[in-house]
Amino acid sequence: MYGYYELSDFSINFGGIKARIERDGNAYRYIRESDGRKERIILAKNGRIIVNPIEPVNLPKELTNFLMIELKEGVISEPKSKMDVFLTFPIEVGIFLAAKKDVDVLDIFSLNPPKFSIYGNPRDGIICRYWKSGVSGELPNVDPKREGIMKLRITNSSNEWVEIRNLVFDIFGMKIYFNDEIVASNASMNVESLRVAETSFIAKPLHEGMKKSLELYTARKIPMVGKKFVMEWGYRG
Amino acid sequence: MIDLLGVRVYGEVTVYNVIFVILIMAVATILAKIITTNIRRALIDKMKRDQLELMLKLIYFGIIIVAFVSITPTLGLNLSGLLVAGGIAGIVLGFASQSVVSNLVSGIFLIWEKPIKIGDQVSVGDVSGFVEDINILSTIIRTYDGLYVRLPNERVFTSNITNYVANVARRFEYVVGIRYSDDADRAIEIIKRLIEEHPFALKNPEPQVFVSELGESSVNLAVRIWAPSTEWYTVKMELLWKIKKELEANGIQIPFPQRTVWFANEPKVKKVEFQ
Repeated sequence: MYGYYELSDFSINFGGIKARIERDGNAYRYIRESDGRKERIILAKNGRIIVNPIEPVNLPKELTNFLMIELKEGVISEPKSKMDVFLTFPIEVGIFLAAKKDVDVLDIFSLNPPKFSIYGNPRDGIICRYWKSGVSGELPNVDPKREGIMKLRITNSSNEWVEIRNLVFDIFGMKIYFNDEIVASNASMNVESLRVAETSFIAKPLHEGMKKSLELYTARKIPMVGKKFVMEWGYRG
Repeated sequence: MIDLLGVRVYGEVTVYNVIFVILIMAVATILAKIITTNIRRALIDKMKRDQLELMLKLIYFGIIIVAFVSITPTLGLNLSGLLVAGGIAGIVLGFASQSVVSNLVSGIFLIWEKPIKIGDQVSVGDVSGFVEDINILSTIIRTYDGLYVRLPNERVFTSNITNYVANVARRFEYVVGIRYSDDADRAIEIIKRLIEEHPFALKNPEPQVFVSELGESSVNLAVRIWAPSTEWYTVKMELLWKIKKELEANGIQIPFPQRTVWFANEPKVKKVEFQ
């Protein structure tokens, strides 16, 4: 599933999405069959293919770098408290081409249909990739091809009870880890007042031994400006 | 040859001085071009295009102005005198060319107020299209049918400007008529499902589908959808046809205008066989 493959014998069936690389004269031909056929010619003598989950904001086109997670059930947090909960996030799969100490994106696909929403108002809000997630106190059992598990540490720094129904993350700072069973990410939310909260990702795997995904924004050499996001339009939906 | 270079043009300024100044200005222009080209290549994917263009213009003209100011002594020009003369000339030129000054001031206000940016889809007066460039005197629009339109900044500044992408999202609306015999609840359910399936039909603000009018020939459903400003037209084009096809696939038809006529007396009509 996720992992490294040799360029010359790459072939995967990812939940029904079939991708492979064939020899085409002196070059290689990448072929993916789902949602229509996608082909790309690779001019390389050799190299490796990396398949791993990436930041879920690339499909159907790059429109935003923010991920909004709406919670199915509101989370109520007591004043001055810290607690961990588990959410899910959508998975997009990146196929990377690696050779001569450089990587590039060959293809991106997902088993989840994408959906977008606005955080804030239509005038000066933010377009976000939308995802609806359940909340649980224990590791949820999800399909690692479709959903990742996000461990969220909620810190309520305010002096009041708060209810959280929405989270928005700047995806530039997202770190995704995976093993054979799960795909996971670690995040935190600091509730500062009844209206304002700050979210960020933590570079720490859920379990020891999990591999770190190659980040798309690193591969595309996009400089990261900030990792934290201030939710100034509230978190109560 | 040396004698020719030593020929005085005016005052102490020789042909050599003039050639030297021309060379310096040419080098400065080429240097400005090389620097701005390299900066553009380095920053094109890291900065917004309008900010990048403004910065490049500042750098380009900054280099040329610095070069010009540096070589004015070679031409025997006193800079302070030049500034005074420039000021007086400016006033004279200002009065003489009011429309140019008006365009210049409008351009400065446009750059300051930023009602439009390079790349935006706008409508200025009766011209609609993409903003290609905002210069100090004029704004360049590429119309939707690919025409180059240069608008003086004064006209842009005093016209009604509609910027279609200034806000992050915008709403569009369809009116879908169905037959009186069709199930409107079922039609609403189908349309809502299609909207939900489209990635760019935004979840929030929530789309609305409701019976808006009991028309003469149809029950009219209003469909209101929010989409990202950059994608709304694509969404609008795609969804309408999908709605039409899906409604028909479910036996719900969009009726033609029709009128039921009741006769007071039974009309005397004779059935004729078609030959």
